[in-house]
Amino acid sequence: MSAFGHVLEHYVLVATLIFGIGCVGFLVRRNVLVQLMSIELMLNAVNLALVAYDREQGAGSTGQTFAFFVIAVAAAEVAVGLAIILAFYRLRGTVDGDVADTLRH
Amino acid sequence: MTPGGYFFGVCAVVAVLGALATISARNPIRGAMGLLATIVGIAGMYVQLSAQFLAAIQLIVYAGAVVVLFVFVIMLLGPDAHGADGGKRPGSWARWIAAPLVSVLLLGGAVLLARVSTPQRFRAAPPGHGTIEAVGGDVFGRALVPFELSTALLIVAAVGAIAIARSRATKPSERPASVGATRRLFGGAIHPRDARTVDDEVAR
Amino acid sequence: MNPLATVFPPNDFALLAVIVGLPLVGAFVNGVFGKRLGKEAVTLMALSSVGLSFLASVATFVALRGARAAEQAPRFVWQGWEWMRVSSRLDGPDVPIAFDLSVDPLSGTMILVITGVGFLIHLYSTKYMEADAGYHRFFAYLNLFVFSMLVLVLGDSLPVLFVGWEGVGLCSYLLIGFWFHEDANAAAGKKAFIANRVGDFGLLVAMGLLVYHCGALDWRGIDAAAHNLLVPKQVWPIGTHVPLASLLPDSAAAWLNAPRYATGATMVGLALLLGAAGKSAQIPLYVWLPDAMAGPTPVSALIHAATMVTAGVYLVCRLSGVFVLTPAAMFAVAFVGALTALFAATIALVQNDIKKVLAYSTVSQLGFMFLGAGVGAFSAGFFHVLTHAFFKACLFLGAGSVIHAMHARIHGTEASQDMRNMGGLRKFMPVTFVTFAAAWAAIVGFPLTSGFFSKDEILFKAFTSSPQAPLGGSMMVGGRSVELFTWPEWAPITLFVMGVAAATMTAFYMTRLIVGTFLGDFRGWTVVPGWKAAHGHGDDAHDEHAHDEHAHDEPGHGAAGREGPEPHESPWQMTLPLVVLGALAVVAGALNAHALFHSHLLDTWLEPVFQGVEKAIVVKENSKALELPLLVPGLLAFAAGVGGAWWAYVARGGEPMRALAERVPGLHQLVYEKWRIDELYEETFLGAVDALAEFAVWFDKWVVDGLLAKLTALLVAGGGAALRLAQTGRTHAYAALMVVGMAGLGWFFTAPHAQAKVEANHDEGRYVVSAAPGLGYRYRWATAEDGSWASDEFGAQAKVELSLEVGTSRTVKLAVENAFGRVEERTLLLERPRPDRSGPGGATTIEINRGADGRLEGQVAPRPIPSGAFPGPLGSALRVPPSFPVPGGGMPAPRGAAPGGPVPAPGVAAPSPGGAR
Repeated sequence: MSAFGHVLEHYVLVATLIFGIGCVGFLVRRNVLVQLMSIELMLNAVNLALVAYDREQGAGSTGQTFAFFVIAVAAAEVAVGLAIILAFYRLRGTVDGDVADTLRH
Repeated sequence: MTPGGYFFGVCAVVAVLGALATISARNPIRGAMGLLATIVGIAGMYVQLSAQFLAAIQLIVYAGAVVVLFVFVIMLLGPDAHGADGGKRPGSWARWIAAPLVSVLLLGGAVLLARVSTPQRFRAAPPGHGTIEAVGGDVFGRALVPFELSTALLIVAAVGAIAIARSRATKPSERPASVGATRRLFGGAIHPRDARTVDDEVAR
Repeated sequence: MNPLATVFPPNDFALLAVIVGLPLVGAFVNGVFGKRLGKEAVTLMALSSVGLSFLASVATFVALRGARAAEQAPRFVWQGWEWMRVSSRLDGPDVPIAFDLSVDPLSGTMILVITGVGFLIHLYSTKYMEADAGYHRFFAYLNLFVFSMLVLVLGDSLPVLFVGWEGVGLCSYLLIGFWFHEDANAAAGKKAFIANRVGDFGLLVAMGLLVYHCGALDWRGIDAAAHNLLVPKQVWPIGTHVPLASLLPDSAAAWLNAPRYATGATMVGLALLLGAAGKSAQIPLYVWLPDAMAGPTPVSALIHAATMVTAGVYLVCRLSGVFVLTPAAMFAVAFVGALTALFAATIALVQNDIKKVLAYSTVSQLGFMFLGAGVGAFSAGFFHVLTHAFFKACLFLGAGSVIHAMHARIHGTEASQDMRNMGGLRKFMPVTFVTFAAAWAAIVGFPLTSGFFSKDEILFKAFTSSPQAPLGGSMMVGGRSVELFTWPEWAPITLFVMGVAAATMTAFYMTRLIVGTFLGDFRGWTVVPGWKAAHGHGDDAHDEHAHDEHAHDEPGHGAAGREGPEPHESPWQMTLPLVVLGALAVVAGALNAHALFHSHLLDTWLEPVFQGVEKAIVVKENSKALELPLLVPGLLAFAAGVGGAWWAYVARGGEPMRALAERVPGLHQLVYEKWRIDELYEETFLGAVDALAEFAVWFDKWVVDGLLAKLTALLVAGGGAALRLAQTGRTHAYAALMVVGMAGLGWFFTAPHAQAKVEANHDEGRYVVSAAPGLGYRYRWATAEDGSWASDEFGAQAKVELSLEVGTSRTVKLAVENAFGRVEERTLLLERPRPDRSGPGGATTIEINRGADGRLEGQVAPRPIPSGAFPGPLGSALRVPPSFPVPGGGMPAPRGAAPGGPVPAPGVAAPSPGGAR
């Protein structure tokens, strides 16, 4: 297995695993902080796949540029997301996502 | 097994274990640490994929900023940051159905990948691949407009974050006063002509 | 050469545009800038625009006379612009409608009256309306009215006339409701407008019928194509029979179902009569005119007496060429006129409001005009239009002067117009009295005054002439002779008697009016409570004692009672028009004094307009000899009416009439309340509309709101309640549902799709079946005749080739396995047809796809080929050489046949339920 770590599929498999873990975490956990972290996991998994495919592609660096923008957007998302969590906590005194069900009414 | 192969293996294990720690930790601080591990692992894989610039960015932005931000917020919240996981809640069935489904879906994708693809070693990376020059040339060349737009996005996000997180004088309350606003809709007047009488009756 | 004719040639007589345009400019300036211009400038603008228009009208009139003298056609045209084109009947050309103006003797005389009387009334109004806050508004409306009336009269076609027609209606509405602060005035305006709308409907219908029958709407075009109006149309029953008529006895049903015919002319004539009755206040649409007296009195004089209300008569005269073709419509016109004359006169007998009396008198006189026009004496009717314009305008302006004077003492619309508060005004306002008396003489038919001649002319013509049925009185319809309406024998004498009776009543109530207003003692002292002095009233020792209930309740009048302001004569701006109009009222009869002076000025002048009309009118043989004897009933009517009123109100102080009223109180009350026609309309038409509105409200409330809205709301609310269960408000639940949906999509994408394409070459018998590619797809085939699989394993072979003998077929099975091991099967039927007799078949490519319902598309049911042409649904999809020889001598191809003709039946396809495992 001399090609271990030098094959696209390995990276994609790792990315799939991390994405799945993030997805499950988002679905299962009620703590909004952890949910936000799960989202970060998923974004990172996607970035890994992008970079791996970029490497496979060889010429150009479109995938990396894309990943670059994803990182920028993720940073913005975290800033706003944490602000929302803070506001939500101030409103409800908890970070339990199930409490945020005002949308139902 | 090449050294690169060992490196990849270590990074992958760290990243996956970190991800598992992130979603399974009761204490969100531990979760943040798991996230940090994942990020570092992925950064390592970036290096392996000859994306050095992105690896640096990954460490600076995620490890340096995002995780720190998480830690600060957890600190601000104190013990409340633990949330209320566990315990029975109405509707919790959904998550226990959805989570296996996700797993099955992704596993199916992996199986598909394994069956249809013939793994091949990466070709040698072209010189300069993944350097600042390469990515920067792309970002300031073809992707200039999205780049400028992303600056606007960041500004808006920063302002929005401040606006949202600014403290207000309202007290936390369990339920908002808006309950039942929609229920009045069909009890009231359909025609504007009737509105007055209905309102009058309500007033009476 | 006449300089006027040089500047304004007859076919481009731009002076007409000037006549029409000046009042419009005045209306615009006064209406838009009037408030800022100030009273003097408004006065100047209004008077100068109408005055200049009058001068231009005089010039036009002179030019018309000049053309007449030069033996040219007295008709000038100003061509504006083409306004629109309307489509006529299906096979006809479009009808152009141009904004053209034209003038001929009839309209030339009308514009003189409009601008001349209009100017006098403008002058009068400068004083009458002096103190009114809406001074500029009033003159803007008045100028706009003059403009509209001129458009009405000068318009060269019905649509242009209609513009003016609506314009005067609008101005009438605006001016009736001029003091709109009082609800009654605004309501009167609305009533006038709506009653006119009913008439306008008739006019619009007439226009449509004329477009259909004549293909023209301008006067010349209508006249030229008038003979087309003699086509009879079945107007009854609508459809083939009357619904439910079979329930009646046979004879009644037969009578009901019998076809009735009317000529186009009759339909047009009756529709025009409706329009004219609306504008000219004839039965049944007269009800608006008495209420129209809510407007300022000059308005009543100009619009509701002198000009606008004569528009209907003008219309009938203008389209006399159409009316003479239809004795039925003429009969209707004449009897509507006579009935209106009689009916309105009865109401005028008992009214106390001075303007109401004059209003009903106007309705009555308009009836006379219709009577004249209806018997074919168009010029006589028009003559009465002229004289009536003078004396009725004078009477109204005189009444306005009286009201103006009464306002010095009584501030109240009702009271200041009530004759019971007047009397003896002769002393206070001599000029008004003299002119009023002159106009009175004209209207009651005092010998040698204008009204005497015009009324006598109408009565004479009513007795002696009657319209003749065209085409000898019968027409052929569908091979059957249909009798046309003929003027009945009894009609002339009936009309004559009705006219004389109306004239008698006119003389009576007008005498009552002048006696009550100007003679006797002034009774207005006692109306205002503060001046009702406690001390005694001495007798005034007047010659006349005009009394009514009011006066008799009082013990007497003394000089000491005359406290406060007195009624006074009006300023010269108001009396000058009175004098001019009064003089005209007396002498205008000379224009057409047939009976005594054999003066035919007006008849001669109007001859070009009504030429050809005379032929359709039958005149009694000895009519010339009857002319003088027939003066006697008119004179008797005058003598009886005036004498009776004098006897009743002057000699006996009103006692006989009071006694009469007490003897028949019900009748008196009924007439006093105008026969309760308004109430009748209220109950019937308005009641019907109200009932409809009530029903609509009920429908809206219970069906629309109740059933539809509430039911819909209930359904939506129910749906919402059901959906609310799914709305937990927890984000993870939504995310979970999203995942479920994604899983479904994933399941769909993991199903293999066994699709195949067949390339068929029927000539060589080679068939290539290629399976559609997919991610990780593997295939296996069963091409052998026994249907067994070629191999047990799935392989990469995506295409098979096979060859068939002629007339044989083969079933091919395809199985596809994808990366997840799911398999789908498909069965295809390949068939090589027998070669067509007509020649070589082309290579065809047939796509086989699974349809929405799972069946294979492109399937062709085997069926016998009729004669070479094969109408298959696939035909057009087949690539076939464009031109094929048609066998059997070119049988016409059925609809839907493939372009190019016969095609061999392609043998492809069979059902295959092979689905995913």
